[in-house]
Amino acid sequence: MYGGGNTFEGIKSTGLETEDPVKLAEFEARIERGEKIEPHDWMPQLYRKQLIRMIEQHAHSEIIGALPEGTWITRAPGFKRKLALMAKVQDEVGHAQLLYGAAETLGKPREQMLDDLISGKSKYSNIFNYPAFTWADSCFISWLVDAGAIVNQLANARGSYGPYCRALERICAEESFHLKYGHHCVIHLATGSQVQRDMMQAAFNRWWPPMMHFFGPSDKASVHSEILMRWKVKMSSNDDQRNQFLDMYVPKIWELGFTLPDPNLRKNTETDKWEYTEPDWEEFKRVINGDGPCNAERLAVRRTAEERGRWVRKALLAPKTEYVAPLA
Amino acid sequence: MASLGCHFLLPLMMKSLDPRVTRLNIPEGELVPKVPLDQFGTFEVFVQIKEGKGYRHEGIVHAPNIDMAFLFAKEQFSRRMMCSGIFVAETRNVYVTAFTEDKDNVYSHIVDNIPEDGEEETYEFFHLNKRGKQHSHIGSVPAKSHQHALTLAKSEFINGDPVYNVWVIKTSDILFTNEEDKIMWDTLPDKKFRDASDYRASDKIKEFKERQQ
Repeated sequence: MYGGGNTFEGIKSTGLETEDPVKLAEFEARIERGEKIEPHDWMPQLYRKQLIRMIEQHAHSEIIGALPEGTWITRAPGFKRKLALMAKVQDEVGHAQLLYGAAETLGKPREQMLDDLISGKSKYSNIFNYPAFTWADSCFISWLVDAGAIVNQLANARGSYGPYCRALERICAEESFHLKYGHHCVIHLATGSQVQRDMMQAAFNRWWPPMMHFFGPSDKASVHSEILMRWKVKMSSNDDQRNQFLDMYVPKIWELGFTLPDPNLRKNTETDKWEYTEPDWEEFKRVINGDGPCNAERLAVRRTAEERGRWVRKALLAPKTEYVAPLA
Repeated sequence: MASLGCHFLLPLMMKSLDPRVTRLNIPEGELVPKVPLDQFGTFEVFVQIKEGKGYRHEGIVHAPNIDMAFLFAKEQFSRRMMCSGIFVAETRNVYVTAFTEDKDNVYSHIVDNIPEDGEEETYEFFHLNKRGKQHSHIGSVPAKSHQHALTLAKSEFINGDPVYNVWVIKTSDILFTNEEDKIMWDTLPDKKFRDASDYRASDKIKEFKERQQ
């Protein structure tokens, strides 16, 4: 599971004044009662648009997220780690399929989503624009990027759109393996030789800033995010999710004797919230807009895959032919 | 579908950290732009999670034909022995009734339809019994058309628990697994590496902490 840190479109007007007020009230009452919205139900344009955007981003994140981990399949230390990593990458790509299917029920064709990914129009989780230099980087992703995504997805699974929730249920069922596997890898390095410990510590130092970016900037109190919360598209604020992640995983990192590169990171026992140095949101914006270490490579790989696989799709789409005896 | 007019400008590909990317030899310059292709057809997938249990709608796959749809469905929905049988049917072959709510049974809205002629075939029924859940397979009836099948089923279901939506699919439009295919669900038992239970490490952490003291 690789979602998280969704960026929602900054829409100036909600367009709600053009919606049928009776239908809108029924729609909101349904969500209020805790019922799911299904594809055949009436829904406001804004709801449809933001859900497509969110589910599509999540699907793209699964596809692109498989690249930095996939890099390490052939170089994973030992046969067992190779098998596990292969299984994990296979799961992630399968999750993308489930999510594309859910987004399609809202009316955006799958091919268009893939087009928007490779043209750079759609976004994916920003953290995958960073490279996995070492095996320890791959372990960081398996454990903590997945953990961050789980925080996000468990929240989303309680959302209002039926097909998305059902896809997430299936996805979550496979997630426990990823998280345990990732933790197991990190524990192995933590309890190993000094070289292994140093490699893991270096990975923590490298990945901590993008991990803090993962849940996105603080939500500004706007009409827009208030509506998304009320419609159960967004289930909790970015800061709440970040806090939940820190609460669950920082103690687990510290117990292995690692440090995190933020001198201000601590839990305030009075507020019960974590305090930290404000992440560099300028860098976040710069990377999400295309200027990160791996943006170009990630998209180039997808475009090349599309171009080189095109003949297969063409051949499969060929009109049905019929067998006849050869002429000569 | 909107066409993608732009050409993809590729950056100068430096040697990547990913050996697989380096092996791709991605050329510098432009790729042939992607053209809109017709998409593959859509197929609905129904899964039996355990032997003896009913089939339930689980999701979709896209494929150029029903055999490949089955293959893709198996890849997608049967990892980790989560499945003991699959049906696939093309989405456009599914006859969908209206949707109802609360105590309103959709069968009470079925207009009787008795065709005068036509050949009898069997039709499979899938009911939506709860909002937010998936359609489940109920059984089949021999009839002359989808609507005729609904007419025949009406008397049986109209007085029961409310059904909110029905999918009717001609049996011959579905690709089923049969007895001889059972072997395909036998996953190797030694694939423990796919399960969370194979990654217990609390002893290792405990031992590590003790060493630190």
